[in-house]
Amino acid sequence: MQAKPIKDGALERALDRFLSDDRHLILGFEKGDDGVRHRIFHASLDRHTLLNPFFDVNGALYLRRLFSKGAKVMLLLRPCEVRAYHELVKLSQIEPEGVIAVSVDCPGTVSSKDKTEGVPLDARGLADYFKDPDRMRPACRTCGERRGVVGDAGIRIDKDGVSWAFSYSEKGDSFLALFDCDSDAAPPEMLLGESPKPETFQTDMEQFSRDFSKCVLCKNCRDMCPVCYCIDCLFNGDEYLPKGDALLNKVLRTGSEAMPGGKEMFHFIRMFHVSQVCVGCGACEEACPQGIPLTKYFKGISERLQGMFSYMSGRDPGETIPYLTFLEDELKDAED
Amino acid sequence: MEDQAGKNPQIIGFACSFCTFKASEMAGSLRMKYPEGVRLIQVPCSSRVDPAFVIKSIFEGADAVFVAGCHPGDCHFIKGNYFTRRKIAALKEMFDAFSMKEKLRLFWVSAAEARRFVEKVTAMHDEIKEAKDAGKTN
Amino acid sequence: MKTGIFICHCGHNIKHTVDVKKVRDYFSKLPNVTVSMDYPFVCSEPGQDMIRENIEKEGLDRVIIASCTPSLHQDLFKDLLKKAELNPFLVRRVGIREHCSWVGDDLEKNTEKAIRLIRAGLYSAAHHVPLEEKRVDVTKSALVIGGGVSGLSAALFLSKMGMYVYLVEKEERLGGHVRTLKDIWPIRQDGEDVISQMEAELRARENVEVFTSTAIGSFEGSFGNYEAVLDTPTGERKITAGGVIVAIGFSPFDARMKPELCYGRDERVMTTIDFESRAGSLAVPDKPRIAILHCVGSRDEQIGKPYCSRVCCINALRVGNAIKDKYKDSYVESFYMDVRAHPRGGEEFFEDTQEKGVLFTRGNIAEIIPGPDGLLVRGEDTLLAEPFEREFDLAVLSIGMSPPVDSTLIASLLKITLDKDKFFLEAHIKLRPFDTAVKGIFISGTCSGPKDMEEAINHGRASAVKLFGFLNLGYAFVDPFIAMVDMKRCSGCRMCEKACVAKAIKYDEVKRIVRVEEAACMGCGLCNSTCPSSAIGLKGYVDMMIDDEIGALVEAI
Repeated sequence: MQAKPIKDGALERALDRFLSDDRHLILGFEKGDDGVRHRIFHASLDRHTLLNPFFDVNGALYLRRLFSKGAKVMLLLRPCEVRAYHELVKLSQIEPEGVIAVSVDCPGTVSSKDKTEGVPLDARGLADYFKDPDRMRPACRTCGERRGVVGDAGIRIDKDGVSWAFSYSEKGDSFLALFDCDSDAAPPEMLLGESPKPETFQTDMEQFSRDFSKCVLCKNCRDMCPVCYCIDCLFNGDEYLPKGDALLNKVLRTGSEAMPGGKEMFHFIRMFHVSQVCVGCGACEEACPQGIPLTKYFKGISERLQGMFSYMSGRDPGETIPYLTFLEDELKDAED
Repeated sequence: MEDQAGKNPQIIGFACSFCTFKASEMAGSLRMKYPEGVRLIQVPCSSRVDPAFVIKSIFEGADAVFVAGCHPGDCHFIKGNYFTRRKIAALKEMFDAFSMKEKLRLFWVSAAEARRFVEKVTAMHDEIKEAKDAGKTN
Repeated sequence: MKTGIFICHCGHNIKHTVDVKKVRDYFSKLPNVTVSMDYPFVCSEPGQDMIRENIEKEGLDRVIIASCTPSLHQDLFKDLLKKAELNPFLVRRVGIREHCSWVGDDLEKNTEKAIRLIRAGLYSAAHHVPLEEKRVDVTKSALVIGGGVSGLSAALFLSKMGMYVYLVEKEERLGGHVRTLKDIWPIRQDGEDVISQMEAELRARENVEVFTSTAIGSFEGSFGNYEAVLDTPTGERKITAGGVIVAIGFSPFDARMKPELCYGRDERVMTTIDFESRAGSLAVPDKPRIAILHCVGSRDEQIGKPYCSRVCCINALRVGNAIKDKYKDSYVESFYMDVRAHPRGGEEFFEDTQEKGVLFTRGNIAEIIPGPDGLLVRGEDTLLAEPFEREFDLAVLSIGMSPPVDSTLIASLLKITLDKDKFFLEAHIKLRPFDTAVKGIFISGTCSGPKDMEEAINHGRASAVKLFGFLNLGYAFVDPFIAMVDMKRCSGCRMCEKACVAKAIKYDEVKRIVRVEEAACMGCGLCNSTCPSSAIGLKGYVDMMIDDEIGALVEAI
């Protein structure tokens, strides 16, 4: 396959070319004193780094409700972030016209709750570091797509550590055109290969209750989820967590003295609501102050439910969300 | 009054106005009997049934839930039940992942099928009761 | 909020398995219930007066009526509220008859179930809001599908009352099966004459368009404004009709489904329909022996036709009489299970037929075996409990009525339902025998079940009367249960728009939210369940109502 090998500062030159237009921005990663984090590059590219092995937030979150068509924004993000971006485009929460999405190979990330020293920032170093999978976040261990193959363009890294720029669309072509080198035949095998199929998630209600017993309904998981997009969530209202007069009315009316719990219902319903859009990034688990293993449930259920329709969230912005369509002849086994 | 709830299964059924609810009316007119634990909530179309309703029913204490509508292709609202089928099939898959797939069922019952309605809900009730008595479900 | 709960005994229909006093007492103790009463028949005039007095005296603003199933007496209770100056949508019906007292035997369990059902109604009634009935303009025209006696009667009536009528018939000629009948009992006229009369009258009318050799190509729209495309021999024709009457008739039972009777394999076995046309030229000797078999294709569980076809006994008597009139020395024997000569004069007709010499043997016919000298008819005489075997020159099968060939096609085009025997299903067998579940679409004649000619004609007229009543004013009121968007909460994700079957949701590019096109909304609620935040809701079935119903059904009593 034809791609452009990125050598000797070609990436910086290409990105500088992009930023030469004042209305252009890049959402990517910046190297800090203790780790790497998201940053919008406008004036200069200083401290820019391609990979971010430290996961705190899913970058697509920053793009929600982006509707202007004036500015051009290039995304240089992890595949799970570009996939979340695609889902948000399908949900009309991001106007894609001015956006060029470039996904970069991601060997994995460490949790924001873990140490940052000693974590390499280059692809081969990271591949080595993560040979011990316990160093990776649970979401990354079972990642469905680590390769930069989603979006308008992608940056793949070969076994020698050389980056290659691929185009997947017309916009991707314009991205490739920024590089001052010729296309070449890319090696057939890259550093990161196709992910293995995840195990089918299976649990029971007792385990669920135990795992979620420490939940304090802070809703961080929902707030930090890139694809939980509702501007007024169902769980904000009096139906699920009645307070004040609504609470007294409910108690007097029902005679039940139990406090409104709702935390198991909240997670269960949210799990179904995001089932067809979840990209399994684990931002929810990152944000949970109680250390609840949210990834296992949300990623597990969404993989199972998306699998029913041979669907993978975020791989193609043109694909319809499964609940919005149907085939006349399907799911014969669904009926009892 | 002695609350029967502890002993006998409580089953909530969502029945669409044009098909299943009509069949349940006919079952009543024909004096067909089915377990008292089966209680219906009428909705205009089975597609009105939000998975959140089903989940809420289970968490509020129902032993099982069924969603019933017109046969695919015969929906009064033309295509509503195709959407129902997808969402409820997915919800059933989720219930299965949580090892409680017997708590949610999906039936197609047309307005003339009073007997089918009675058979389906009775079978469901009896199976849930059996499992409850055997201590298999909570 | 002041709620009144009125529990009906429905005579003894509810009272006998639901302890209505206990139910009443339970609710009278609840803090948010102002009035809790029970009464023998709330739909009766004194019952309605009692409710109205309570509304006015106590200043009730929500009324719960626990009685028969909600689809009955809908207008009655809405009108009652209007008279009491309360918005008609502030009443909540709870079905404790078809869904409780009639389907359970245990008094205690039924009473508990009734309490839960009423409680569900009570909780959700709190979320009822005053709504305005939607007024829609209706087209004062009707589409009558089927040009047999029933369709012709319906069309004539509607036309005479000033409706524009489109009569569509699939065959080349109008008249259906009646046209083929000779010497119809008791009027002693040929079907040809009856039909010609009706057809002439109809074609002379200016507000009627008759289409023959025409099929329905497509059908869309809603009550008051149905749009159909007709495939006529001269091309497509689009029409708009306020309502539809389906009168597509029946198909005669195919006697080949009973191969043991040799129909189709031997010319000497014919059906009553064949007899109509071949009665004048039967190939039989001067003193013929003729067998008439009743109930062929009816009351027969084995072939899936358990129902009685109503007309075949009279048909069999007609055949017996016709043969005796033509062949004085004939031997005619009728084999029957019961003789159901139900119409007026039918029993006398039966007596006369016997007096003419037709023998009646109660028996089941097992098979007909064709032979060189005649047909061997084998059966069992059920009164003597003896098998028999007799030879005949001719056997006439009195066949029953099967559903029309196009019942499934029309049912799916118009979105109406079929019953278990594949005839069209009426909305309510006693109270609404011509309505279907779809407002504005009626069924009449044999397509909704076997009936004789005068019944089919009456049926046609009755459906026409009902349809006329709906369309006459030029406008009608429909329930306002359509979708509504909470503009503050809508995220503009457009999922509801993509799912909407009626294409009734439109996106506002500027506000970045959706809105509902009320005229197109069918009121299914798919949008409500598709939206994860329920920012779009279905009036009359909002989340809070259903959530409260769920809570009420499972909470402790």
